[in-house]
Amino acid sequence: MTSSTLPNQRPPFYRDTRTIAIMLQVLFLVVVLAIGWFLYNNMVTRLAAGNTAAGGALSWSFLSQTAGFGISEGPTFRPEESYGRAYVVGVINTLRVAVVGVLLATVLGLLAGIARVSNNWLLNKLAMVYVEIFRSTPLLVQLLFWYVGVIAALPPIQEAAPLGDLGYLTNRGMYLTWIFPTETGRALTWWLLGGIIVGVAVAWLRRRQLERAGVPGSGALAGVAAFALVVVIGYFVAFSASQMPATTAYELRRGDRGTLFEDTNGNGAFDLNLDRPLAYVPITLYGADGQVVASGMTNGDGAFRFIDLPAEATRLEWTTPAPLVLSEPQRQGFNFSGGISVTPEFAALLLALVVYTGAFIAEIVRAGINAVNKGQWEASRALGLNTGATLRMVVLPQALRVIIPPLTSQYLNLVKNSSLAIAVGYPDLFNVSRTIVNQTGAEVQGILLVMATYLTFSLITSLFMNWYNKRVALVER
Amino acid sequence: MATDIRSTSWVNTNHPAPAQKPPASEVGVVGWLRTNLFSGIGNSLLTIATLIVLYFIVANLGRWLVNAYWEPIWVNRKLFAVGQYPLEQLWQPALVLLMVSLLFGLSTGRWGNIMRNLGVGLGALLLALALIPIGLQAQMVMAASLGLLLAGYLSGARVAISSRWLAVAWVLSLPATFVILLGGINLPRLGVTSNFAPLVQSNLWGGLMLTMLLALVGIAVSFPIGVLLALGRRSNLPVVKVFCVGYIELIRGVPLITLLFMGMTMLPLFLPGNWGNPSQLVRAMTAITLFSAAYLAENVRGGLQAIPKGQYEAADALGLSGFDKLRFIILPQALTKVIPAIVGQFIGLFKDTSLASLVGLLELVAVGKAVIQQPAWLGVTGGVAKEVYVFVAFVFFIFSFGMSFASRKLESKLGFGKR
Repeated sequence: MTSSTLPNQRPPFYRDTRTIAIMLQVLFLVVVLAIGWFLYNNMVTRLAAGNTAAGGALSWSFLSQTAGFGISEGPTFRPEESYGRAYVVGVINTLRVAVVGVLLATVLGLLAGIARVSNNWLLNKLAMVYVEIFRSTPLLVQLLFWYVGVIAALPPIQEAAPLGDLGYLTNRGMYLTWIFPTETGRALTWWLLGGIIVGVAVAWLRRRQLERAGVPGSGALAGVAAFALVVVIGYFVAFSASQMPATTAYELRRGDRGTLFEDTNGNGAFDLNLDRPLAYVPITLYGADGQVVASGMTNGDGAFRFIDLPAEATRLEWTTPAPLVLSEPQRQGFNFSGGISVTPEFAALLLALVVYTGAFIAEIVRAGINAVNKGQWEASRALGLNTGATLRMVVLPQALRVIIPPLTSQYLNLVKNSSLAIAVGYPDLFNVSRTIVNQTGAEVQGILLVMATYLTFSLITSLFMNWYNKRVALVER
Repeated sequence: MATDIRSTSWVNTNHPAPAQKPPASEVGVVGWLRTNLFSGIGNSLLTIATLIVLYFIVANLGRWLVNAYWEPIWVNRKLFAVGQYPLEQLWQPALVLLMVSLLFGLSTGRWGNIMRNLGVGLGALLLALALIPIGLQAQMVMAASLGLLLAGYLSGARVAISSRWLAVAWVLSLPATFVILLGGINLPRLGVTSNFAPLVQSNLWGGLMLTMLLALVGIAVSFPIGVLLALGRRSNLPVVKVFCVGYIELIRGVPLITLLFMGMTMLPLFLPGNWGNPSQLVRAMTAITLFSAAYLAENVRGGLQAIPKGQYEAADALGLSGFDKLRFIILPQALTKVIPAIVGQFIGLFKDTSLASLVGLLELVAVGKAVIQQPAWLGVTGGVAKEVYVFVAFVFFIFSFGMSFASRKLESKLGFGKR
């Protein structure tokens, strides 16, 4: 048997694809490193030539230096604290707006998306107009419109009319009625925490029970009920056990203002870091001749202040408050006390992010619902389910698989877009980093810090959404 | 007696009864209302609730629109269009518009498809601007552009223009635009300086012109980079792959605004000291291009992934080299598939260029901010911010919505997303 004899020689090494692959990668690496070195070298030279406060070298020591500027929102920040802490406050502010924004945008997007597939022509078209307008205009323009055009055009504090019992909308922010835990309500935190644990446990047990019985449904309702029960019990326990600290004392200054506090060291004066201020305690102020001159409630930091009193107060009495109190904003001259306040910057940024991202989410939801086969609707109708039940039990669970991946990128976009805060002066992490950079000249470090933070956010969001996606994904054999 | 089945006596010989009209409740206006608005109690309630909401929106919006003060926009229409570009040299932007209209017309005739949809949109816009009395010269330019667009369309449809030459013309139109707007070439570091008109430095460029320029440069220059990155991401060479994945994910993970600030402050740091500092426009364009490239790479990757493996294998079987395989088999198919995605990205980039206003470029939004601050409108109650931002949003809307509409038309024509 003759076989054609192939010349059994290996190709020369420079024609071997494996060698070529390695050579190419080495070449690529060399070029990249050369460019990188060129850029880095230029940067170091220029930094050394310039006389920035950061001192040319890429040092991180500025993070522990005194900041010297205040931050108007978020956790309390005093100018004598460090740049590092200022940045942390900025990160918290970003998270504040991003977390609330993601929740509200999801709700808005879901509603608008469902409206987009509604049989009701009018609702459908209304949702379409919303989606098209807000998707096709830049977020920055929308943000400036809300901030300069809408919120700044609200009435000033002196002229603001109340929105019923809800609060006030002014050009300096929103002042809303809010529920606060009082001095005697501090224990409620533990009951809330306990309620969450019990609620989750009950929901899990209920779901297992339903699964065993082969009944469709989720344990969410049972969980919520258990949570509510624990919280209500906690409220009554806290209510019956409520008493003021034995060493309660007060400081009264200038006849109209002061602080109510627990006098831990018994010296009768309020020491900022030693004594504990008593929040939301009802107080009555008496004048020199024993008549009542004012009554009200201490603030969240135990302080109180009244204006236009008929006479100077000389004495104060307090009563034990309920664990929770409804605090309404009250006009005091050029400001409000009580309730919670939302700054115009936060409100504008939140509004812009929610309305803009909601429009994108609506389209994603619509696409997801449309991706569910029409037969699924018809089959579910044939089983006698109404539209709501069809949507909830048949269509949305299947649509979620299509919705989750693009939804993730919308959440990430919202987080990244929150950096537009700089356009309205909301102190988010990017805005704070610019202030730090302007003061220290640590340009490169500032950018690196911001990029690393955003990349971390992206990574965490992706990991969470991938986990959730796996949960709702189609289970195949 | 058995019936003779051949007899036809059982056949009704009367004429069939004339078809009755469907009941009035099923057709016409009433029928439409019943199916679409009042098909049930729930649906009717929903309709009424929507109507109430709609009434409040329309009533308030209408009242505002009637009372709004549009004077600042009309007075500053030149500023919104081209920024602080010198008045006596406006023929230069006009020339660019004429050039682009001609190219658009030729491409519309030659390629059809999405170009046709976009061309119709551009024509409608030019017609509207030619009819609104924005100024005689400007109107004449718009009319001439419209004429060139039509002429280009007719000749493009009749004469077989080489597709390649048209593409080359488009590529060359970008540097040509810069030269025309600048009024010459000004590269003192290379010792090249020659001009046909007084040089107009890029810090005077602004308005819609600058917005367009930023977006177009962003998408055009990032195109080759994006394609290379996409190919690199699908490469078998681990070093190349890691680098491309790293770049794409890094850029996509951070907001554009950080890149813009980085371009503004750090780009000069990366260049040798004797190169001087690039202009603000170049810095912003670099940042936008680097940003856009990462997103483009992901879009192109989608196209590459949609190509069946058989295409690669067939190309290999034909003995094509790696480069020829990409050039003749893979990229033409992949890039055609991602045209709608790239149009979508362009729309996004067009909106994102508004961020350039935060780093000191006088594009559309920055012009709007400047107009609001003009002392002439200080006396207007409530300020003119609403009017100006609504107008700016409207301009963005026309272009973004127009482009996405054209793209959607194309998608439905190609049958994308149809089941």
